[in-house]
Amino acid sequence: MPMPIRMPDLGAGPARLSVWYAEHGERVLEGERIVEVLTERATFEIVAPATGVLAEKHAFPQDRLDPGQILGMISEEAP
Amino acid sequence: MSTLEVYLLDHVPFEQLLTWQRRMVYEVSGSTDRAVLLLCEHEPLISVGREGSRADIRFDADELRQRNWSIRWVNRGGGCTLHLPGQLAIYPIFPLRRLGLNLPTYLSHLRDVMRNVVADANIRSASHDPSGVAVNGRLIAQVGVAVRNWVSYFGTVLNVNPDLEPFRRVDCGGGASPMTSIERERRLSINPQLVRQRIVEHMRERFGFDDYVLRPGRTSDDSRNIPLLSRSVHRRTFESLGALIWSRSQEFFGT
Repeated sequence: MPMPIRMPDLGAGPARLSVWYAEHGERVLEGERIVEVLTERATFEIVAPATGVLAEKHAFPQDRLDPGQILGMISEEAP
Repeated sequence: MSTLEVYLLDHVPFEQLLTWQRRMVYEVSGSTDRAVLLLCEHEPLISVGREGSRADIRFDADELRQRNWSIRWVNRGGGCTLHLPGQLAIYPIFPLRRLGLNLPTYLSHLRDVMRNVVADANIRSASHDPSGVAVNGRLIAQVGVAVRNWVSYFGTVLNVNPDLEPFRRVDCGGGASPMTSIERERRLSINPQLVRQRIVEHMRERFGFDDYVLRPGRTSDDSRNIPLLSRSVHRRTFESLGALIWSRSQEFFGT
């Protein structure tokens, strides 16, 4: 069952994706930082919600992000 | 809320601070009651956050080499920060969720602390700026943070009495004017140890900690190389923090 990586509600203004710390197809561990977003004066690291493989990226650096938006998907097996 | 652990450090190499900060973030993330504040100074260096660029630094490579200044790209918000002796670097490693804070509120509290410390030095015109806190249009404190597992790191710098000339050539945000300092705006010399005291006290008040405790700078084996304040300064700081009840801001900043 793929697990979505969601943009949390930071209570902040506009946020955009800063950098992915994992590559497509890379194995990630639950709790490991996987993607960073940038708001005014602050970065926020989003961690992998499950152990698996980063199967999909739905957002990319400089993309504007909204709370709840799906940034990518983690699957249990290699894509 | 809980007790704030305060580490009063002397000059700390930036790379060493990053290592120690990483360890502290890990420890606070795994704790139910810890919050840590690191205070130190750095040797000259320019750190560049996610919103900065090389174009903000108007020293060419040869000049940087001659000054023995390096550029360090870091994963915090904000742009360039010029670190110099006489500038306090303040690293709150706070569990934001446990403190009931979202990002904007946390950043606003940080600016409040800096503004209040500056006000204690009888500089009344300090105001919030998107990049930090400004006095008469010039930044005096600069904010740039990062958050992992809802634990904050990096934080803010406050110019106490650094050489201000190099700030004319590094865009630290806050508009066209270079950064200023407490000493410049106050037009009097200032005791940096007393500024540290006010930072600790305002942090405790603004973030709602019941108390604070001063740590000697070592919590784990891999941090043994962190330099402490010299013994005399450390002892003096302990004494003054423990014994004084401040009633008037002028008293804090007597020369």
